[in-house]
Amino acid sequence: MAETATVLVIDDDRDFNTSVRAFLESQGYTVIEATSGHEGLAKLAERKPDAIILDIMMESLTEGYSVSAAIKHQPAYKDCRNIPIVMVSSIQKSPDERFPFSGDVGMIRPDRYLTKPIDFTKLLEILKTVVVR
Amino acid sequence: MTEPGREDTIAVIDDDSAMRLSCKKILSKVGYRVETFEDGAQGLEGVAGLRPALVLVDLKMPGISGMEVIGRVHGIDPQIIVVVITGYATVDTAVEALKRGAYDFLPKPFSPDELRLIVKRGLERRRLTLESLHHEVERALLQRRFVTFVSHQLQTPLVAIHQYLDVMRRLGDRQDARAQQQEWLERCLKRIEEMQALIRDWLTLAKVEGGRLASQQAKVDLQPIVAEALQRHQEVAARQGVSLQAHPSEKACYVRGDSTSLSVLLDNLLANAIKYNKPGGSVSVSTEVEEGQIVVAVKDTGVGIRERHRPFLFDDFFRIPSGEGEKAAGTGLGLPICKKIVAEMGGSIDVESEVNVGSTFRVSLPPYRERAGEGGSRESPK
Repeated sequence: MAETATVLVIDDDRDFNTSVRAFLESQGYTVIEATSGHEGLAKLAERKPDAIILDIMMESLTEGYSVSAAIKHQPAYKDCRNIPIVMVSSIQKSPDERFPFSGDVGMIRPDRYLTKPIDFTKLLEILKTVVVR
Repeated sequence: MTEPGREDTIAVIDDDSAMRLSCKKILSKVGYRVETFEDGAQGLEGVAGLRPALVLVDLKMPGISGMEVIGRVHGIDPQIIVVVITGYATVDTAVEALKRGAYDFLPKPFSPDELRLIVKRGLERRRLTLESLHHEVERALLQRRFVTFVSHQLQTPLVAIHQYLDVMRRLGDRQDARAQQQEWLERCLKRIEEMQALIRDWLTLAKVEGGRLASQQAKVDLQPIVAEALQRHQEVAARQGVSLQAHPSEKACYVRGDSTSLSVLLDNLLANAIKYNKPGGSVSVSTEVEEGQIVVAVKDTGVGIRERHRPFLFDDFFRIPSGEGEKAAGTGLGLPICKKIVAEMGGSIDVESEVNVGSTFRVSLPPYRERAGEGGSRESPK
């Protein structure tokens, strides 16, 4: 059996996760869901995904950034450091291309950011470029 | 908001001692607090300290003239109403006084009724001015908060609905998706209801903050309002296996406010007491007069509220985190609405709670009292 790519979706809204799962599964991906940054990090330790979809505003306004920073810098997640992260938020980028609540613009790659409701076609395009199957 | 005491205070500035005395007598009799001063300098000093709601000033005085006093009173506080007393009522002097910011003028000689009427009208004008100022500040705050929360509170369900519909559109004819579609539609409807509740509560909150809900100052008996609210929740309570009990006071419990906002208050407290209860639990509502206050207590036998969450209970959009990532139904605006209604009525609300035993929300409201200048045959302003 050919191995399918796995995507971890971290968003505090279950319905968001369900719809992303439904779409990605129809495209042949395996989806793991988490409804908080904490749960997301725990799932990461269980099984290493090929990509992560991460919401910015969860329990706190910048929870997504904390999760992203933990993955990139904490030794506990050193095996996951290179997993591509697609950031999502319902907040529009500001005119000067700054991302919501980000003091550090370097935390998000502009080509890996989607505004909610997310465009599934664009999501698929991003996943195809970042996930090598 | 201004301090309530100051709204009754009137300063009279006149060099004629007979005039000072009669003004004081006429106005004190209907409940105003009156301070008198015999010239402009003393008057202005008094006004600066007293901050009265209204100043009556004679135009013709030795030293600082009445004309000059008008502007200088407004230098102290532009919201103080100034009424000038003119001994020589020519159109020119009256117009000059009005130009300088006086609210109205009273030509000598005048009757006690004329004096009372002009004071009453002046204070009414002040009340309206202060109210609209207050609303402007509130509106600005509301605007800022709305912008901050609108994305998370209104966009989150919209995003969920949008994405479900998008998935259904994309996968509609696929056999495997069809089975799940019913479930996704149910979720969409649920999220729409959630948004509607949020909009409803948000509008209620906006009305309370705009003073449109709680500002009606009628004499209201709390007891029938409590009884009706209990009646309205009977069915929901029964469905949840929760019993409702009433412990009304034997005395009538009159407060100053309006019945709609009191109903909103009780509906919110009762809905919470039922929602966070356990099957077989109970909710009891008591009304009593305690230390001169009217106290309504809504006591439930529910899950209780952890101490660390209590300070945030009355904050807009605060939800108790339930750990599982599962969000409790509700808008997070019910208790903020309650708090604002109670505050508008000059009362207070607090909570006692024990985890797994239950919570008691206690609302204390000042009892109804007649106000100064508010006779039995009070006419409402047009």
